[in-house]
Amino acid sequence: MIPQYWEDVEIGTRRELGTYTFTQDEIVAFARKYDPQPFHIDPEAAKQSMFGGIIASGWHTAAIWMKLAIEGRKKDAASGKAGPLRSGVSPGFEDMKWLKPVRPGMTLSYCSQVTGKTELRSRPALGLIKSLNEARDENGELVMSFVGKGFVQRRPKD
Amino acid sequence: MKDLLHFEDFPVGRVFQCGPYTVTKEEIFEFAAEFDPQPHHLDAEAAKKSMLGGLSASGWHVCAMTMRMFADGIILKTANRGGAGAREGRWMKPVRPGDVLRLEAEVVDAKPSQSKPFGFVTFDCRVFNQSEQVALVSMTPVVARRP
Repeated sequence: MIPQYWEDVEIGTRRELGTYTFTQDEIVAFARKYDPQPFHIDPEAAKQSMFGGIIASGWHTAAIWMKLAIEGRKKDAASGKAGPLRSGVSPGFEDMKWLKPVRPGMTLSYCSQVTGKTELRSRPALGLIKSLNEARDENGELVMSFVGKGFVQRRPKD
Repeated sequence: MKDLLHFEDFPVGRVFQCGPYTVTKEEIFEFAAEFDPQPHHLDAEAAKKSMLGGLSASGWHVCAMTMRMFADGIILKTANRGGAGAREGRWMKPVRPGDVLRLEAEVVDAKPSQSKPFGFVTFDCRVFNQSEQVALVSMTPVVARRP
């Protein structure tokens, strides 16, 4: 069955979202706009810092999760494997953890696992889905994790 | 060296005002095209029909703009050793083109490390537009103790 509504989403479903390799240019460009700390934007200052070199903003690492999640949904929809899941709006997240520095050239693997489903009394047309989202480095070590939340449409009653 | 803020300068209850940050349509499109290419962030017509009732910034873009105000207002003036995370992010209202954001960052927790010369300071960063609160991002930078 093609998951389309909140009712179709199963707790425990895990999706590999693919990998992403961070370049120094992208790390610096993101941080110049949004997180201009010396260890994100200035290679010389970063060398002198406790990180010993440029590292990515944690918000950049998180934004790449979103990028890969959307790419995955589009691929699934195009292949007919899933969706279009009627979702896309989120009330927020919990427990964002930046556990290890992300350096230029590192390739992270992202994944997302459904961990919870909640009915919404105040919004009966929607349900809430919680997911545990992770990024791991080449050695499989956890680099970032957070709990995501998303609204998904309920199956219409007719 | 400049007189930086240290762990001791962040007692629970201290509030900092940061910003402003003007949100443009171009920047909403640019961020969304790169990181969150969904119609309600990229297409004004599709956005009108969506749950958000009009074009709005990606929630991750809201976090990034919050970080910028937080960095300019506090972190770049602080003996900061990086960010441990954000225990909560709430996207409460859509952030629209033309919104002028500001940040009220309140220290809600300050825990010294038992063994190392720094501590974890948690700020509730409340983001307002010109008329109401639109988001909350809780940030926990690692801040050096005063030598």
